[in-house]
Amino acid sequence: MSDAPLIEVRNLTVDYVGANSVSRAVNGIDFDIRPGEAFGLAGESGCGKSTVAFALARLTRLPGLVSGGAVRFMGEDVLSFSAERLRRYRWSEVSFVFQSAMNALNPVIKVSEQIEDAILAHRPRASRAETLARAAELFELVGISPRRLDDYPHQFSGGMRQRICIAMALALEPRLIIMDEPTTALDVVVQRDIIEQICELKARFGFSVLFITHDLGLMIEFCDRIGVMYAGELVEVAPASAILTAPQHPYTRALGRSFPPLSGPRFRLEGIAGSPPSLSALPEGCRFSPRCGEAIPVCVRLAPELRPTPATGGEAACHLLQ
Amino acid sequence: MAFLLRRLGFYFGAFFVAITLNFLIPRLMPGDPATRILLSLRGKLRPDQIDAIRKTYGFEGSLWDQYLQYLWRLAHFDFGTSTVNFPEPTASLLFYAAGWTLFLVGAATALSFGIGITMGIWSAWRRGGFFDTFFTPINVMLNAFTPAVVALLLWYAFTMQWAIFPLGRAHEMNLTPGFNLETVLSIAWHAVLPVASIVIVSFGAWHLGMRNTMINLLNEDFVLLAKAKGLSDRRIRNRYVARNAILPQITSLALSIGYVLGGAFITEVVFNYPGLGKFTLNAIQTRDYSFIQAQLILLTMSVLVANLASDVLNVILDPRLRSLGRA
Repeated sequence: MSDAPLIEVRNLTVDYVGANSVSRAVNGIDFDIRPGEAFGLAGESGCGKSTVAFALARLTRLPGLVSGGAVRFMGEDVLSFSAERLRRYRWSEVSFVFQSAMNALNPVIKVSEQIEDAILAHRPRASRAETLARAAELFELVGISPRRLDDYPHQFSGGMRQRICIAMALALEPRLIIMDEPTTALDVVVQRDIIEQICELKARFGFSVLFITHDLGLMIEFCDRIGVMYAGELVEVAPASAILTAPQHPYTRALGRSFPPLSGPRFRLEGIAGSPPSLSALPEGCRFSPRCGEAIPVCVRLAPELRPTPATGGEAACHLLQ
Repeated sequence: MAFLLRRLGFYFGAFFVAITLNFLIPRLMPGDPATRILLSLRGKLRPDQIDAIRKTYGFEGSLWDQYLQYLWRLAHFDFGTSTVNFPEPTASLLFYAAGWTLFLVGAATALSFGIGITMGIWSAWRRGGFFDTFFTPINVMLNAFTPAVVALLLWYAFTMQWAIFPLGRAHEMNLTPGFNLETVLSIAWHAVLPVASIVIVSFGAWHLGMRNTMINLLNEDFVLLAKAKGLSDRRIRNRYVARNAILPQITSLALSIGYVLGGAFITEVVFNYPGLGKFTLNAIQTRDYSFIQAQLILLTMSVLVANLASDVLNVILDPRLRSLGRA
């Protein structure tokens, strides 16, 4: 694992533009993903996790708009790519696995064609025999018989469809696979199989993963480092092992207390009082301050910045740590 | 296959019910056509002449006998004799008119489907762009016009004000139809205005239908994934959006093809076009029962066949229905 980051996100800002208002869904976040690393983005619904993920491949849909910052992939500025360079960058460098495998495949096209067209879009000179052989190889990688290549999506179970999506994501051996809730729609047993499969493939091909899920336990198990987001900002970045054992930010701490541990003494789950702020009516100062039990006067005036936290070797944005 | 056989069985049943009703209704109404002829001749007929007339029009014997005779004639495409254009067989009038209508309304339907779908694809793909904001409201407006207004306007403008197109009919009066360039040109030239007047009021519906379905599909995850795969815009538009959006349009197309043989009453009357619409209207006005009955059977048949075609097409185009059929 080299230390030069594969992808660098700097001060990334994404706005949702309304008729006469602008909501900042992602407010200047910074993080790196290193080669071969699994980086997790955790946070409540609507905190901007998926918005960040889509921005990395410039797939933000209107009315969303990347309004500032930089995304550098191996030193190249993704946000200033030409249309053709962008098309080539997508899938061959960064591919996706979406939450709902149900909807991620076109119901009226054979799955083989949906894998092959991804290959053909990047290797236009590949012959039909080559793309078909590659599709069969990918099916075998994820444990589905290549005989089923000519079936349609509805003929597969939910778990198999997600495997097909993973196979598709591997088609061009990208360096980064963005997995946006890849197992949320599946039952726990299938979930376990899929995660194990992803781990195995990751060990074999050495791609990096940006992993997004609501399941903090799963994320801690799967990821090397985790970024915790709150209301469009990164509040803490830390090694996965430290998220539960040594949380630095009060929000991370509160998240940890919302999950029941499987072993150890029982304690009362606390949850987090209140709900995340609306993006159109953000509090001044630290965005978590209205719900934070430890807020001090400066918190409601001044927004804290991410600073290194020696205790975990990560970073956190909280006035209490300074 | 079982699915299609079940559908086929259903359509056969529906057809039978329709032709039976078609048999019963004129007989349940007061004053059958034979009586009408007898009345118009003011009773100056001998009893054997009356019997002969009744027999000619199939009103002889018990209801059951008449029904069997009716089915027998139907099976031989014998729709009886026209009471108005006596003694022309109704079948030959019907098929003559059906040919012209099939050409006129068929061409118009194909054109408006093609134009509407293409425009729908473009306006959905660049939603809110110039093409969309310019044409969508115009097409909504055109779609709200009645065919009568458009046909009359076109007729007045292009045959009276500027005598560019012929006043009416399907071809020149003195033309002996044959497979030569002159015939084809004459027929095409005469069809321009009638076809245009149908297309103008109908392509907007295809445009709007296709546009709406496309816009809904554009939000689907598989379209976003297609974009993430780095596919070309053209491929995403045609293979991932339009391909799926065309399915409901195909169903509507099959249904409207079924009604092609209903004729285009107003257009055919305005342009004096020898199609089913004009003939049927004429038959209604002159109480030519055998023609009305025959036209009803033809329409029933074509609607049922079109429905069946839509079922078959959907099974071919939508793989999800295939396994439904198997289950």
